[in-house]
Amino acid sequence: MNDISCGSGVELLMEYLEGVLPPEVNAGLEAHVAACERCTAFVASYRETPRILRSATTVELPADIQESLHVFLRRVQR
Amino acid sequence: MVVPTADSSDETLAARAAAGDGHAFEEIVARYEGCVFRLACRLTSETDAPDVLQNTFLQVYRNLPSFRGESRFATWLYRIATNAALMLRRGRARKPAESLDAFMPQFDEHGVHVDLPAQLQIASRADELIDRQLLVEKARIGIARLPDVYRDAFVLRDLEEMSTTDVAQVLGVEPATVRQRVHRARLMLRGYLSDLAGGKR
Repeated sequence: MNDISCGSGVELLMEYLEGVLPPEVNAGLEAHVAACERCTAFVASYRETPRILRSATTVELPADIQESLHVFLRRVQR
Repeated sequence: MVVPTADSSDETLAARAAAGDGHAFEEIVARYEGCVFRLACRLTSETDAPDVLQNTFLQVYRNLPSFRGESRFATWLYRIATNAALMLRRGRARKPAESLDAFMPQFDEHGVHVDLPAQLQIASRADELIDRQLLVEKARIGIARLPDVYRDAFVLRDLEEMSTTDVAQVLGVEPATVRQRVHRARLMLRGYLSDLAGGKR
């Protein structure tokens, strides 16, 4: 009954994680991943990718750029 | 000193700013300048981000009177910031980015992952395996290598952590399209991280 492969399962991951898959497809995907070491490893890395890149691209607003913005906006408000 | 505006909702502040209250506008800027700058860096570059930041708040200031509260204020502001970033990017001659297609997962003729579990999980630990400074630099490069439509959806959904519905509203596409674009971006960047960390795809 479960005809999900690694390849077709990967294509469903986003919808799976967003909870928008039909229940029977959802169950089929979960059954495949639970039984497949490669997919278990793949899903973990797929889930971690956004977190790792979010942390690596979190920059603070430099004080000089903030100051120029405020000067600019005070001029605009006049 | 008690700052009375600190507890005001964005929407209350927006209404006061639209009515000419300069302090309310400053409070809006204080709340969002950091977020807008970060978003601008992710959608453009650190070189272009200051321009995006100024243009965003200029547009916010001018358009406050037309904010009707049909969406949350934050969504409205993010739409303005995103458009400011996209406008600026459009004006730049875009060097053809090296495709990330090579980092897509590979399957054999039965649809089975070609790579072994140990290789497939390496991207999960990219932040432990790669030097922090190098990762920061490579993350920026990898995201910039995404096709624009994937980059925009990925940045808003996964880096800014907006809901798929909000991203769809900001980008003017269907939620299913957002999901498809974010998915492709995740697959490419996952493989890119894996490669950097010494694994395969």
